[in-house]
Amino acid sequence: MTVSVLNEQGLHARPAAILAREAQRFPCEVRIVQNGDDVDAKSILDILTLAAGYGANLDIVANGPRADEAVAHLVRLFQKRFR
Amino acid sequence: MASVILKGIPVSAGVSIGKAFFLNRSGQGPIPRQTLAPEAVGPELVRLEGAFGLFREELTQVRDRIPAELREHAHIIDSHLMILDDPKLQGVAGGYIRDLGINAEWALDKAVADLQRAFESLDNPYFRDRIQDVRMVSDRVQARLAGQTGDIKAVQNRVVLMADDLSPADTAAIEVDKIMSLVTAQGGKTSHTGILARTLGIPAVIGVDNLEEHVRDGNLVVVDGLRGAVLVDPGEDELAKYTDLKYQFEAYHASIMRGCHLPGETIDGYRVKVKANIELLEEVATVIDNGGEGIGLYRTEYSYMNRRVLPTEEELTEEYLDLASIMAPKRVTLRTLDAGADKFISLLGNPEERNPALGLRAIRLCMHHKDLFMTQLRAILRASAVGNVSVMFPMISGLREIRQAMSMLRAAQSELKQQGLPFDAEMPIGIMMELPSAVMIAEVLAREVDFFSIGTNDLIQYSLGIDRTNRYVSHMYQPLHPAVVRSIKHVVDAAHQAGIEVSLCGEMASDPFCVPILMGMQIDAISLNPQAIPGIKRIIRQATMDDCKNLLKEVLESTTVARTNRLVQETIFKKFPDELMFYSSLLDQEEGLAP
Repeated sequence: MTVSVLNEQGLHARPAAILAREAQRFPCEVRIVQNGDDVDAKSILDILTLAAGYGANLDIVANGPRADEAVAHLVRLFQKRFR
Repeated sequence: MASVILKGIPVSAGVSIGKAFFLNRSGQGPIPRQTLAPEAVGPELVRLEGAFGLFREELTQVRDRIPAELREHAHIIDSHLMILDDPKLQGVAGGYIRDLGINAEWALDKAVADLQRAFESLDNPYFRDRIQDVRMVSDRVQARLAGQTGDIKAVQNRVVLMADDLSPADTAAIEVDKIMSLVTAQGGKTSHTGILARTLGIPAVIGVDNLEEHVRDGNLVVVDGLRGAVLVDPGEDELAKYTDLKYQFEAYHASIMRGCHLPGETIDGYRVKVKANIELLEEVATVIDNGGEGIGLYRTEYSYMNRRVLPTEEELTEEYLDLASIMAPKRVTLRTLDAGADKFISLLGNPEERNPALGLRAIRLCMHHKDLFMTQLRAILRASAVGNVSVMFPMISGLREIRQAMSMLRAAQSELKQQGLPFDAEMPIGIMMELPSAVMIAEVLAREVDFFSIGTNDLIQYSLGIDRTNRYVSHMYQPLHPAVVRSIKHVVDAAHQAGIEVSLCGEMASDPFCVPILMGMQIDAISLNPQAIPGIKRIIRQATMDDCKNLLKEVLESTTVARTNRLVQETIFKKFPDELMFYSSLLDQEEGLAP
């Protein structure tokens, strides 16, 4: 599932913390992919090293139990600008 | 240890004498490196987990203790908690202990080094700098591993709190009743340490070099928040001198605070409003406590600095609304963005300027970035719907700039009207008088606006052609140069002839030697740093307008700065012998009259 970063300051510390925290609530593995870089969505440090700015397109990929639910939940966070 | 005197910047007045306590010692000593026997690996993992757990517990407590109005800072702590628990930190460090058989300190250091490489390769400076968050977290864990908790909770008696720097999270964690003063190694002008100290009414000195090196926990220290010094292990003579100074200052301070809520009025009934210059919302508490009669200058630059994205209209509106509604019904004067020159906003690019003080700054910069200016004007107007707000434009050199700024303001008003957003159509509009050109045509400008605010720092710089930060010429920065005094008088007279208000918001407004001269001119208001308000109010309340007018007359007749300074100092000392021992004056630079 592809999402765009709608936060003006990009995926900075605050949304990155929310994204990692929410991803950690699911038992499945969740990855974020940007231009071939593939990182662990449960790691705030991994997310920050994507340096995803405003308008960046990211893919959310999940594997394992409740994977679809996890993707849908995280996509909503992007759409709501992590508010 | 012999007595050591460390110099720093005084940011909150007062003197304290007590035992030093160092918060969050950076633990920047060498990281111990050991290889472990196989049976030691298990316990080492437990030790690592324990140190992480200890810091997690403390950080969680800090977060839960943050009051609702400071929630803004809580997300920094949330991010630090997430970093603390990140698999890339504790997980990787644990892996190194298991796989390489090394001690916890070394393993954590290696995990951070891995992350450092990942972050270093990023182009975007915001994301690259996040390694600082990782370092902050790992330094604190290292300190726990080394058994130095650096925790203020362990302290029984009141201490002089020292730190490399105090973050908003640290300041929220401080139990204020255990702190007698604050000292930090870092610190700039908008340091939170200064604001916190002024809010608590305790002395503070920041920007002290080599603090950690010179001070051990438990050292006896004197903190001189009047002149910016920290004495470590003072001798008996120094201790006696400072005990005396502390007593005198406290007595003086208590007496000025008792009268600080009375109006600024001379014995013979002349009224001058005493307002505050601030740049952060948090400073409002000090303004109110110290008897400020409004905000005469709200510097709006802070919200634009150190940012990756310009502030939105909503964000600015919220900031200005908060300020206006806390101060209401007292007036809040918002100065539009005064950036450029020394206050540089990285987001607006870096124009190559050979002479930035004469370049793209203040109103000129805003007219160059009209979108940015429009956003700010809309936010100011929206705040005017709720509070008692006025706006002023900086660095106005002539009529054309006033008219351009006014037409932008009218455009913002009609946009808001169309969108059905409320604002005060009668919001007073003023200009900063800080360029010699504006002074010369003050009569003309006075017909266009509702008030003048004289910015003496820039007016002196531009009138005398002196850069105060240039050590070769700074001694020629002279507030009482006849040209400066006459310029100010000219502006005040022009304003009064046109029937508009005039105030003054430079450093002269907090200088006890300059204020009586300004009063002699019948200035309507002065605006100064909030901590200086009680002392200046007391001088006003003990003065008479006759004396001020006589002094002004003599000053205007004087043709040299040396004579003027001597005249002023003699007169004021005679008049207020008890008031002046805790003041430093702008005039000291020349005459060396500091106490």
